[in-house]
Amino acid sequence: MRKRSIILVSMLATATLLLSACGGSSDSNSSAGSDTTTKGSFAAYDETKAGGILKFVAAGAGGTLDPKVNYTAQYWQLYQASYDGLLAFKYADDEGSFEVVPDLAEALPEITNDGKTLTFTLRKGIKFSDGTDVTVADVKASFERIFTVSSPTAGGFYNGIVGADACLKKPAGCKLDAGVVVDPATNSVVINLIAPDETIISKLAVPHAVINPAGSPTTDAGTTIIPTTGPYMYKSYDPNKSLIMVRNPYFKEWSHDAQPQGYPDEIHYTFGLTATAQVTAVENDQANWGYDPIPSDRLNEIGTKYADQVHVNPLTAMWYLPMNVNLAPFNNLKARQAVNYALDRAAMVKIFGGDKLAAPVCSFLPPGFPGHEDYCQYTVGGTPEAPATAWTAPDLAKAKALVEESGTKGQAVGIVVSDDEVNKQMGEYIQSVLNQIGYKATLKPISGNIQFTYIQNTKNKVQISLSQWYQDYPAASDFLYILLSCGSFTPGSDSSINMAGYCNKALDVKMQKAMDLGLTDPAAANKLWASIDKEVMADAPVAVAFTPKQLDFISKSTKNYHFSKQYKMFVSQIQLK
Amino acid sequence: MSKFILKRIAAMIFVLFSISVLVFLIFFATPGVDPAARIAGRNADQLTLQQVRVSFELDKPLPLRYLSMMRHLFISQDLTSYVNRGAKVLPQLFQAIPATLSLVFGAALIWLCVGIFLGIAAASSKRKWMDPTISFLGIVGISLPVYWLGEVVNLITQSKLHNSVFSWLPPLGYVPLTQDPLGWFLRMIFPWMTLALLYAGIYIRVLRSEILSVMKEDYIKTERAKGASEKRILYKHATRMSLITIVSLFGLDFGALVGGSALLTEVVFGIQGVGRLTFSALQNFDLPVIMATVMYASFFVVLANAIVDVVYALLDPRVRRV
Repeated sequence: MRKRSIILVSMLATATLLLSACGGSSDSNSSAGSDTTTKGSFAAYDETKAGGILKFVAAGAGGTLDPKVNYTAQYWQLYQASYDGLLAFKYADDEGSFEVVPDLAEALPEITNDGKTLTFTLRKGIKFSDGTDVTVADVKASFERIFTVSSPTAGGFYNGIVGADACLKKPAGCKLDAGVVVDPATNSVVINLIAPDETIISKLAVPHAVINPAGSPTTDAGTTIIPTTGPYMYKSYDPNKSLIMVRNPYFKEWSHDAQPQGYPDEIHYTFGLTATAQVTAVENDQANWGYDPIPSDRLNEIGTKYADQVHVNPLTAMWYLPMNVNLAPFNNLKARQAVNYALDRAAMVKIFGGDKLAAPVCSFLPPGFPGHEDYCQYTVGGTPEAPATAWTAPDLAKAKALVEESGTKGQAVGIVVSDDEVNKQMGEYIQSVLNQIGYKATLKPISGNIQFTYIQNTKNKVQISLSQWYQDYPAASDFLYILLSCGSFTPGSDSSINMAGYCNKALDVKMQKAMDLGLTDPAAANKLWASIDKEVMADAPVAVAFTPKQLDFISKSTKNYHFSKQYKMFVSQIQLK
Repeated sequence: MSKFILKRIAAMIFVLFSISVLVFLIFFATPGVDPAARIAGRNADQLTLQQVRVSFELDKPLPLRYLSMMRHLFISQDLTSYVNRGAKVLPQLFQAIPATLSLVFGAALIWLCVGIFLGIAAASSKRKWMDPTISFLGIVGISLPVYWLGEVVNLITQSKLHNSVFSWLPPLGYVPLTQDPLGWFLRMIFPWMTLALLYAGIYIRVLRSEILSVMKEDYIKTERAKGASEKRILYKHATRMSLITIVSLFGLDFGALVGGSALLTEVVFGIQGVGRLTFSALQNFDLPVIMATVMYASFFVVLANAIVDVVYALLDPRVRRV
């Protein structure tokens, strides 16, 4: 997933001032008043802390409210507190938040038939926020609805369900009679896959797989509200004004790990404040939290005056430079490696806001992610054959020599970046590096809202660009397979996430092998992914720059802050008393 | 006369039609703007992308797409946004109008009062320092960009002095007058003053120079010769004559502002009006909303011009023959 408003990120070197101040805040992110039990689960619900209106502010709304269609970090965070799937990501700190636990299902699925059949039992007695019971018929309809509403991940996540291919071709009236078999008598739900899928458990836990009433609209519901199952339901939604969530009167806690009772009585999300006005509102305790990244000129102020209200957490994400392997000069391996050697990742981290807000990396899989190993091939003292353990400094001499050897010296290179402050500055930096190593680089900043699709389309002949990738679910394939497999490259399409146009059949086979291995031996699979990571980076279709961190600034009355690696701040667990 | 009015209406429709075609063509001529992939979502399957293309009629040729959009906008009135899918454009626009009207009415009241009072004062003052001082202030008002001034006002009232002098000030945003009259008033004070400052500056300068030029007219000399008091000459004759210019200027400014020109003020103060709607639609390349807000704004401008033309025609028979 690519974070929607990353174009608004505006963090400059002033953030270095934040360094000292942020020392007071916790990277381990459990603030005062948040007791956690030993297993990483949250403390039992404390009714005395419940109540109040939680107020969020954002510059704009996140689009459709339909949980099957919306693909933004902004609303996925809210869905965690309102919708439920058969499975869910756990309410826990740190690594615990990546764990998948049973939610509407009584237990994790029983996996049979060589991993192709998943059997669940739906919990009894759960109701939707409109008072109707959650039945197995709703479960089946919900899976069919992924296709009828043309969910963005219908083809990417759920195409392995038996019957999905027909539904993808003809969404209207999609039926998954063989793919999702339900039995009202026993409340069982059987999901049949055409082939085993090591990430299916995670894919069933993300919002696109939540359970909605069978009668939900057959097209994108947009601003129409769909009943929820979690502690909150939606009362009103006006994308130009606000989103109001209130308690779901039918909610009773059934699993403290999957969907604990929420603390605030209501959640009001107001749209229309600029990022700087959001910071001011939080400082004044007029709002509890602002969605948009904090502008650079406010970082110093919040870092010094409000240090104990700042929370910084690493994200499993990357900022990277895809290089088009089908266009000169980057159809030459040495040219791509040269860029990797020349890139001063520390300089880019500095532009982003300093080491408190980002960390330089060279590996494709971000730190803290399954399959990640600390290594760097493109640093002083590192080579693709014998990588160093971490990035230390760029090797310009080597880069220049590689460009010389490749015979691409003096060629023209266009860099396409988003036109916001931070991206443009990074673009200028990349331009200077490319010029230094022997290219004639020009910077082409375009609107952040179209840059992401523009750089995907081969018709636009983009040679090198700057992009970001934020994880959907914790699996190495979400980075490597999605971003660099042959299947993710569709020439001439705006939806071709493999921007480098990199297609390595041998590597595809290896990735498939790793995914198969993940079904039986995740540890071995992650080892294999780590070696694939190195192999890919030796081919250098991209240059990874750094991994960003999330900076949350909360108001002084906001308590019990917890951070999920999957959905960021846990909305329902915030206490106002 | 009725023929003239019909001609004006026909011209008005033609202008609106041309604007809509221009907006439409400029949008689709922008490279990389194809909304299908952004609507479909990140990494959408090619089949899903194709379905989105069909359901948003993006697979049809441009003229058909244009006709369909106009049909949804004006006839069935169910045009929906590309970005906030499902959100109908027209209700969004109509909901935003009261906020814009609140802002523009209040600001207009302030700038008219300040502009007229200081304009007359500058033109008539016998104290030597007063005219240059007021003119200087007027220029300052005109020169301060509203988005900068708004941010500074916010910085002072919401941040630096919020815990002392301005603790009575509610957070930024807009609440309807009917819902909370006091809250509405308190929230609007600074947006009004910020927006009014620019226009007050212009009006001061215009009124001052108008009064000074009218004062040189022969009929003023006649009045003086007849022994009328300076006060009477200033208010009864010079100011009254000069106000005609102000009124026509005001008509155009007011029309443009109601049409969404108060965009920057609305964005800075978080007022969910027509201007902010336009702003966010432009940022997100949301063609249906851009189309609706542009049509709405141009309708006001074209209508204001048409009314002026008709009124001129009523006053001056020569115009009717043109």
